Amino acid sequence: MPTLVRKTLGEYRRALIGWTVGLCAFLTMYISIYASMMKDPETFSAQAIAKYPGAFRDLMGGMSDIATGRGYLHAVAYQLLGPLLFTMCAAILGNRAIAGPEEARTLELTLTLPIDRRRLLLERWAALALGLLAVALVTLALVAGASSAADMEVPFGDILAAHTGLFLLVLFFGTLTLCVGAAFGRKQVALAVTGVWGVAGYIVETMGRNLDAISWLRWVSPVHYYLDGRPLYQGWPYGDYLVLLGATAVLLMTALLAFERRDVGV
Amino acid sequence: MTAVVETEGLTKFYGARRGLEDLTLEIRPGEVFGYLGPNGAGKTTTIRLLLGVIRPTSGRATVFGADTRDPRVRARIGYLPGELALEGRERARDYLQFLADVRGGVSRGRIDDLAERLDADLSVRMGELSKGNKQKVGLIQAFMHEPELLILDEPTSGLDPLVQQEFLAMVREARTAGHTILMSSHVLAEVEHVADRVGIVRAGRLVAVEDIAALRERAVRHVELHFDAPVPKESFEGLPGVRDLVVQGASLRCTIDGRPDALIKAAARYTVVHMVSAEPDLEEIFLTYYSEEEGRHAHAGA
Repeated sequence: MPTLVRKTLGEYRRALIGWTVGLCAFLTMYISIYASMMKDPETFSAQAIAKYPGAFRDLMGGMSDIATGRGYLHAVAYQLLGPLLFTMCAAILGNRAIAGPEEARTLELTLTLPIDRRRLLLERWAALALGLLAVALVTLALVAGASSAADMEVPFGDILAAHTGLFLLVLFFGTLTLCVGAAFGRKQVALAVTGVWGVAGYIVETMGRNLDAISWLRWVSPVHYYLDGRPLYQGWPYGDYLVLLGATAVLLMTALLAFERRDVGV
Repeated sequence: MTAVVETEGLTKFYGARRGLEDLTLEIRPGEVFGYLGPNGAGKTTTIRLLLGVIRPTSGRATVFGADTRDPRVRARIGYLPGELALEGRERARDYLQFLADVRGGVSRGRIDDLAERLDADLSVRMGELSKGNKQKVGLIQAFMHEPELLILDEPTSGLDPLVQQEFLAMVREARTAGHTILMSSHVLAEVEHVADRVGIVRAGRLVAVEDIAALRERAVRHVELHFDAPVPKESFEGLPGVRDLVVQGASLRCTIDGRPDALIKAAARYTVVHMVSAEPDLEEIFLTYYSEEEGRHAHAGA
């Protein structure tokens, strides 16, 4: 493994372990209460769900089949909170690639090493991607194990498809944070762009289904390419995932070009 | 021999603010070049341009004949940043080892030798290093791969006097090994004992490049002579280079510009019992010399 990838992963280690533990705790907690909720069908009966305002139901991804194992798993793990937490993790780590060290002024010495800037950025990105992949793999194993233990009856193939989408989504947002950080060298700017694009993207994707005024915006929402194919129900939405991957590649290219010509640390 | 560092019309603007303008400079192989100027004059800007951390607005800079963007050049440079930031939980030794690996390795025991010389504790986590220890770690990483060019931005800040001496010895050793050194400072006193030449930068412009030896010749000295009996003032009046002459009984005080030769010869006619000559203050000559230069330029322009 290249020195810089190894070094960066070393720097990420504590954060990665922390986020993995946090995500696992969150997932375990939610999946384990599925069984007890199912004992009391009233909680998630159609009448009970119908009491929620329509817009809220849209935001939560419909909730129409939350009483099934698949619907419940989707609602708690893959619709909102799972992607939200995992994206926060990706954004925080993405900021530690360039913008963080630049603001802390430790990047200057790194730049004077005999490594060109493109390689520096690529290796830091590679470390970010590997780190996120590790978190994704551990949480995938956990979701697969916990959901089968809770008798949710969701095939592993569908969980894998959904989890892959989740990974691609957070990789996109992590790369976005890294890219904005590489272009401007400011953590706050990078977090703001990622936060606004992420939250607005989510709202546009979920509310936009039933709101023509904003539905055309869905195609610029990264969340659209993650949620629209309903991978947990329908398996692999290859085209959508390729869009996410392609967008990530474009961001990475942008980061390389922007970082190459920028003054660092001024 | 080709220059180690060569710049031509090197200019850097930060938006509308001038960082450095039209710097043309050559640093020769094997010399110690002192780069002087007040804070904010453009020293760090120059250094960052040479290392490719920032990009020039216009002009050209080469190091070892190659563009500053060429990463291979940087393997031959040792750099100490002016504001060295070291953070994190990593131990200083591991960080140094990482830097060494990326630079292609350092000879065995070199890091420990330097740490011992500078009395640095490398088992401390980087975020917990004191200011002085940070500077020591910075010096170790700059010197450890025995680079052909050392670029040191305010190297002695934060070091106690003993360590400063050790640092100056390291600089001399590097020069003896034929390496080139560029070191910046805001005071001449910090570099005058090791530098061969000094450049002065002010408000983004290089105002002078001088040989230290030539500068020393022109240095202002305060001299005090004590004789065994009162001396006549007339014997010392009008001597070349002697100013501010005060004779009081058996003692004499004056200021000498340049060589003390005439005064010594005049004093030799009497019995000298005690003599005090303050270390030449190059700073002073520098400032007077260049304020005169500037005055003349202003005059010529009028």
